[in-house]
This record gives sequence, structure tokens and C-alpha cells, in this order.
Amino acid sequence: MMRNILALVLNDLAVALKNKTFYLVLFIPFFVFMTLKLIDQASVEVSQIKIGFIEDYVYAPQLLNNVKAAEKNLAVTWVESEKEGVHLLKEKTLDGVLLGNKKDPERTTLLVLKRESLQTLAIIEVFSALQNAVEGNPSSWISDIETLHAGGVQRQTLPTWVLMVVLLVGFLVLPAQVAEEKEKKLLLGLLQTPISEVQWLIAKVIMGMVLAMIATLIFHLLGGFAVADYFGYIIFIAAGSFCFSAYGIFLGFLCSNQASARTLGVIFYLPHLLPSALSDFSQQLTAVAPFLPSYQFYEPLKSVLLEDGRIASMPFEMIYLWLVGAFTFYLAYVLMKRRWLM
Amino acid sequence: MQIEIHNLTKLYDQNRGLSPISLTIQKGELIAIVGHNGAGKSTLLKMLANWIIPDNGQVTIDGIDLRNRRAVVRKVGFVPEVPNLFDFFSVEYNLKLFASLFQAPLLRVEEVLTEFNLLPFRNNKIQALSKGLKQRVNIGRALLADPPVVLCDEPTSGLDFEMTNELYRLLNTLHDAGKTILFTSHRPEEIKSLATRILVLHKGNLVFDGPPQEYFQSAVHEKLYAL
Repeated sequence: MMRNILALVLNDLAVALKNKTFYLVLFIPFFVFMTLKLIDQASVEVSQIKIGFIEDYVYAPQLLNNVKAAEKNLAVTWVESEKEGVHLLKEKTLDGVLLGNKKDPERTTLLVLKRESLQTLAIIEVFSALQNAVEGNPSSWISDIETLHAGGVQRQTLPTWVLMVVLLVGFLVLPAQVAEEKEKKLLLGLLQTPISEVQWLIAKVIMGMVLAMIATLIFHLLGGFAVADYFGYIIFIAAGSFCFSAYGIFLGFLCSNQASARTLGVIFYLPHLLPSALSDFSQQLTAVAPFLPSYQFYEPLKSVLLEDGRIASMPFEMIYLWLVGAFTFYLAYVLMKRRWLM
Repeated sequence: MQIEIHNLTKLYDQNRGLSPISLTIQKGELIAIVGHNGAGKSTLLKMLANWIIPDNGQVTIDGIDLRNRRAVVRKVGFVPEVPNLFDFFSVEYNLKLFASLFQAPLLRVEEVLTEFNLLPFRNNKIQALSKGLKQRVNIGRALLADPPVVLCDEPTSGLDFEMTNELYRLLNTLHDAGKTILFTSHRPEEIKSLATRILVLHKGNLVFDGPPQEYFQSAVHEKLYAL
């Protein structure tokens, strides 16, 4: 069995090299890397800022009065604890949380998701403007900025690029390759040998996982991005690429030719990519995205890459991805057994 | 080696396909399946090759149920009408891949390359070969596991006169080596001197089953192929 799977995997990788799929996998990380070099700066307007205050902390009365007076620019939410503030911050219900300073109530620490974000910039601008309006206040209200997400823009966008490349292999590369093998009757030719359907499917999934992992590895090598929990991270990337590779193979079985597979792939690719990747920028998307498997892949990725989170603390997402992968693998097996559109 | 076909059926839309068909094929027969386009010739062969799942019926090949695909593929080699090979790769690569999946020794690849006069083309990519050469590789691939039964779907389709004769010589050689061969053709005149038995399918029904001499004098031939 292993020998057959190995022969099929090597053949699939050789085909991927021949039909230029490999070039795509190599090109995208280089393209992204070069793009990131160019997009470190941006300027966008931010309207009303949602800022959180912790009920337990003591804030300077002057600060509170001025914030209240600036309700046009600042929407204030009082939260019970710092933990709740962090939760709302992650949900994008808040743009920042002001943590009181026990030694000096006149000064506070601003907690934000990312230091280099429009929201952070806007908060600092608004508070500076308020402070300037108050005469005789020599010290800065915000003495420090703490972030939940580590790293610069390059690192902060890394989860999006990893998500993109895993979905690309799953929804664009694999459906087209499966459909091509069906269209050219190569799959039927392979089934004229004693290999089993499961062996063929495993080989395809492994190929998808290898491609996705190579692309992810290139991201890390080029950017020099380290990860706190390497083992967990690799297992998680394996789970995600397994899920979306099996999903893509299933989509390939729904199509009789490459053209329809590519179309179907894009139809699945964008709705999985955009809501998850853009959930950082929208509260509404954050509410909708959890229904997608891609979000269950993306959120832990962000946690590991940006917050030094541990995959071991996210068993639900891990199990969810393996289950979705196993389910779509089974559906692909059923269609293959029925020689669907072959 | 005996093939038992009992009530084998496959129906597509608009009643196309193959109505229930039953027959027995003995070892060493060289059977031509003739009929017009859409008569069900390819459907029959593809069902025997496990390419198409039958709606009904039972087939045993040397006592093995057709549904036991992994065992049957060692008994049956199928040559489809359009060669289904990995175009990007060489003749040798294709044969080695399939030999590996059959767990056949690599020496078998050399034998096939020699038997089918493919040695000069072993490093040529499939996409660069002529249709006749592709068909030779296709047949060679089907014979890698040395199956006792060979199924050829329209093996001469698209081939010129010379290539067609060469292919028929090849089928004769395989027949002389004791293999049971079934092939389809919609040009019965061509297989007059080749087949030992002729099956005629018409609109999915088996309308004739007998020796060539009998067929060419029958009303079926007259009716189906009269100019």
C-alpha cells in the first residue's frame, strides 16, 4: 500500500512540476514578499473610535470629563475587567482599551490589537487633541502602548497569506488537477491497476499538503518569521491543508473538466478567503466568518503567529478541520466509486 | 479463462446504452464487437474494464466477480480508444509508473519496449508521438501485467491503412500467444479475416453472435451495412 501511495505521490509531484503548478506555489510567496515591502505605509480615515475603560481601574477625573465631552469622536464602553476588554478587542467591538495606571491615575496604558494600525493612530491623535485642549496638563495621558498582536505589518499579514496559499492549493490547484485526470481518463487508467481508490485519494491529499507546506515554509524563510510553538504550528498547518485539500478534491469530482473545476474553485475560494481574512477589519464579518472552515483555520493561525498562542489550547479548531477534511474525503471517495462524471 | 456475462445492463438517457445482455466467452477467442455508433460496443467493453459501473447484471472473469476490481485488473488489460497516458512524460516513464503500480518487475518494461518496437522512442514524450505510436504504447501499457484478456475499444480509430494493418497483426500475435481478445469496430469488412467470433450490437441489443462466415452471409449484416 505504502509503495503505491509513494509512487502516486511522486507522480503527482512530477505532474505538478510539469504543468507549472509548482511555479505558482513558488511565485506567490515571492510576489507577496515583494508586495509587503511596498505596502508598509497607508492612510485611511477612521470615524468614531470605540474605546473601553475598565471598571476596576481608577482614571483621572480630567481624562474622564474630556472623553465624555468628546462623544462625537469617542464611543466609550465600560467593561468589568481587563479580560473582558481583551475579549471585546479581539472581537473588534472595541478599537482600544485604556488600562489605568495604579501608581499614577493621571496616566494610562493603551491596549490595542496592533501598534501599526489606523485605529491606534486615530486613538493617539484624538487623545492628543483632547489633551492639547486642556490647559496646564503637562503629562501625557497615554504613557504606554501595549499590543495583543506581535510584530510589524509583514508579520501581522502573515496569517492572511498562509490562509491564502492553503486555500489556493485546495480550491484552485487540486480541483483542476482532479478534473484534468478525469477529463483525460488518466484516473480511469490508474484504476486499471491494482491501486485502491483510497490510495489514490491519499496520494492527492498528500500532494496538496506538501504544496501548501512548501509555500508556508518559503514565507517563513523569506520573512525570517519565528514561531513559539513549531510542532503545534506544523500539525495545525497539516490539519488545515488536509481539510482544504480533501475539500478541493471533492470539488474536482463535481466537475467533468478543468475549466469548470477552476470556475467552481474560484467560487469557493473567494468566499472562504475574504470573510476570514477581512474579519480583522469588520465586526460584521467577524460575526459571519466563524461559519466557514477557513475561519477556524485563520483564527488559530493569528493566535500562533501574532499572539504566541499554543495550538494545544485550540482543540476545537483542530478537530473541526480534521473532521471537515475527513467528511469531504469520504464524499470524494463516494463519487470516485460511482465514477462520477468520468 | 472464461468470461461469463449475465444480464449485463447499462442505460443512459433516452434509452441509449446496453439492454440486458448474456454471453459466455471462452479462452483464446478473438472477438470483434461491431455495430454503428451508439450501439453499445464501447459501453460493453468499458463495463468489462470497470470504467463504467453497470446498472444490473453479473460478470465473472475466471470465476472472479467483476466488482472485485483490484483482482480483475490483473486479468483484464483495457486499451481505450483515445490513449490515456501522461502526455508530459516519456514512454519509459509511463510504462515504469504503471509497472510500479502493478508491482511488475522493471524488466517487464524492457520486454514491452522491445515487443512493441518502442525502444527508439523510449525517451520521447507521449505528446510528441504519432497516433499509431501512442496506441502502441497504450497497448503495451495494458499488457504490462501480462493479462490473459485484452479489451481494445476502436483500436484502429484515426489510424491510416498501414497502421491499421500493423495493429491487426499485433492483435493476431497476441491471439497466437493464447490471449482472449475483444475489440470493437464499426467497419466489419476490416475484421473479416481476423476475428474468430463476431458480436453485433444494434441500439443496445445483441442481434448477432456467431462466426464471421455466418455473419457476412446473414441478414443482419445485409440490413445494417448494406449500401
